[in-house]
Amino acid sequence: MRGPFALPGERTFHLATLSALGFLFLFFIGIISALTAYTDWRQFFSILSSKEILFAIRLTLFTSTIATVISMVFAIPAAYAISKTHFPGKDIVDTVLDLPIVVSPIALGAALLVFFNTSLGSAIEGNLLRFVFEIPGIVLAQFTIISALAVRLLKATFDSINPRYERVGRTLGYSKTKAFFKVTLPLARNGLIAAAVLTWARAVGEFGATVTVAGAMKMKTETLPIAIFLNLAQADVEKAVAVVFVLIAIAVVALITLRRFTGRRQTT
Amino acid sequence: MISIRNLSAHAGSFTLKDINLEIRDGEYFVIVGPTGAGKTILLECLTGLQRLRNGEIWVSERNITSLPPERREVGYVPQDYALFPFLNVRENIIFGLKPKKLSKKELDEKVKVLAHLLSISQLLGRNVQTLSGGEKQRVAIARALAISPKVLLLDEPMGSLDVRTAKYLRLELKRYHEELGITTIHVTHNLIEAEEMAGRMAILHMGQIEQVGRPDEVFFYPKSPFVADFIGTPNILDCDYCNDLGHGLVEAVCGGVPIILPHHDEPVRKLALLPRDVYVTTRTPPGPGINRFKGTVMEIVPFSSLMKLTIRVGEINLLAELPQDIFEEMDIKVGQEVHLILKLRSLRVY
Repeated sequence: MRGPFALPGERTFHLATLSALGFLFLFFIGIISALTAYTDWRQFFSILSSKEILFAIRLTLFTSTIATVISMVFAIPAAYAISKTHFPGKDIVDTVLDLPIVVSPIALGAALLVFFNTSLGSAIEGNLLRFVFEIPGIVLAQFTIISALAVRLLKATFDSINPRYERVGRTLGYSKTKAFFKVTLPLARNGLIAAAVLTWARAVGEFGATVTVAGAMKMKTETLPIAIFLNLAQADVEKAVAVVFVLIAIAVVALITLRRFTGRRQTT
Repeated sequence: MISIRNLSAHAGSFTLKDINLEIRDGEYFVIVGPTGAGKTILLECLTGLQRLRNGEIWVSERNITSLPPERREVGYVPQDYALFPFLNVRENIIFGLKPKKLSKKELDEKVKVLAHLLSISQLLGRNVQTLSGGEKQRVAIARALAISPKVLLLDEPMGSLDVRTAKYLRLELKRYHEELGITTIHVTHNLIEAEEMAGRMAILHMGQIEQVGRPDEVFFYPKSPFVADFIGTPNILDCDYCNDLGHGLVEAVCGGVPIILPHHDEPVRKLALLPRDVYVTTRTPPGPGINRFKGTVMEIVPFSSLMKLTIRVGEINLLAELPQDIFEEMDIKVGQEVHLILKLRSLRVY
């Protein structure tokens, strides 16, 4: 935009793009305003401090944090391998890792449920850890959805790092593994934090796969999105709205953290 | 002694072919060639970052061919310096010493010595992203020297510096080399830089060594058409005698033509001058008449987009080059008298 000095053709173009931006901004502000107008603020804080909502907040923060840690443990080396190494079938692996991003979460949840009906799945359930309709199932569902996103975000981070840094590290006496930890990871620090925050926020909001694998059981597998679903189903709209505000607050904190470390909006 | 024997390597579709080089202890050796000649790949073979297809590399009687980069004891300064942006200058310098688990006192002593040598003591606490190109280069050299390498590898060290800084740092590099006596391999595409820095030099072209020798040997006796073309087939003038003019100047008389030069410790025996550095004009040039002569055009030969002119000055023939369009504009003909200006900066003295 060049302000009053823009040419007539440019002015029309800028007007069109800014109008679209203004529409979207007002659309989301409108939705939040409607929630704000609907909320009875005297009841709001007592709902938030209710046993059920506190349980949902604790369960959501616990499961999403565990799922994020596990997904980062796998995603960091996986993303590095996809970014920096060449191997046969790399395109196929890359495409398969993208699937959880584009396939509906409920479909992935259904696939997990089917897996636990196979003999291997049943053996895991019987001898190792119970996932179906249990808290580990929530973590598994969140992990399934966010790990691919973590790989995608981290791959972009590793792609942007000049391999020369690591190579210089090698000549300065560091093995390949040490150079990865002492050179590449510090260079990727902001990208790692941004990926962790975004995947964690995505895990907090995960519903489709979670409800399919872990079910929607009050005070048992009730994460925040499931609390919204259960309370809407019971026509307890005030409670559902209170939970929506909690999710919005978490999202805002995540976005502020993201901006703190990236200095700009993330594109995913 | 660094010995490179029958080295071959592949990088994508590029191949280094049968490279053989012997680099003496303490030597400043320059590998020069056009972009895409394979200079960086050759350096990476020495660092161990590039796998060899064939051949061996020996450093100080030790075969390092199969050693990983971290065990080769080579200091590497890449073209963009690759200073770690998450560390300050001091931390960058000691990065390579951390695996050696030295005491803080030993680290401080090492940093002090290197910072003094490279004149970067005042930069130690600085963020490397705030340094100028010349400062970055000196920090990168300090970091490479900190590990006490057997050989220092410099990849286009002046590549991203402005002309003035590059000139200053060439002198500085010479000083470091003289003080430390470390065997240094310097890669560049810049012939003037190579000639100024090298004890000996190798000309690399399309993955093969074309010629190895002292700069004057390469310059006066190019062994292949490529080398002759790359160095620009200079005018080589035999000097009859020299007169010291005082004020740091000497007059070298070549074939009756007096050429004024900065004073040299050694007597001037030969002068070399690239054809592109002989300026030709049909009008009398303004300014003082130093290194300006009248000559007669003896021959005109078109060569690609250039015109090559042989011009008789006194008893010598000088080859000059002119872009086609400028030549046509001046409408120069054989037998015509023209004015010549010899570009002093590009005169090479042996």
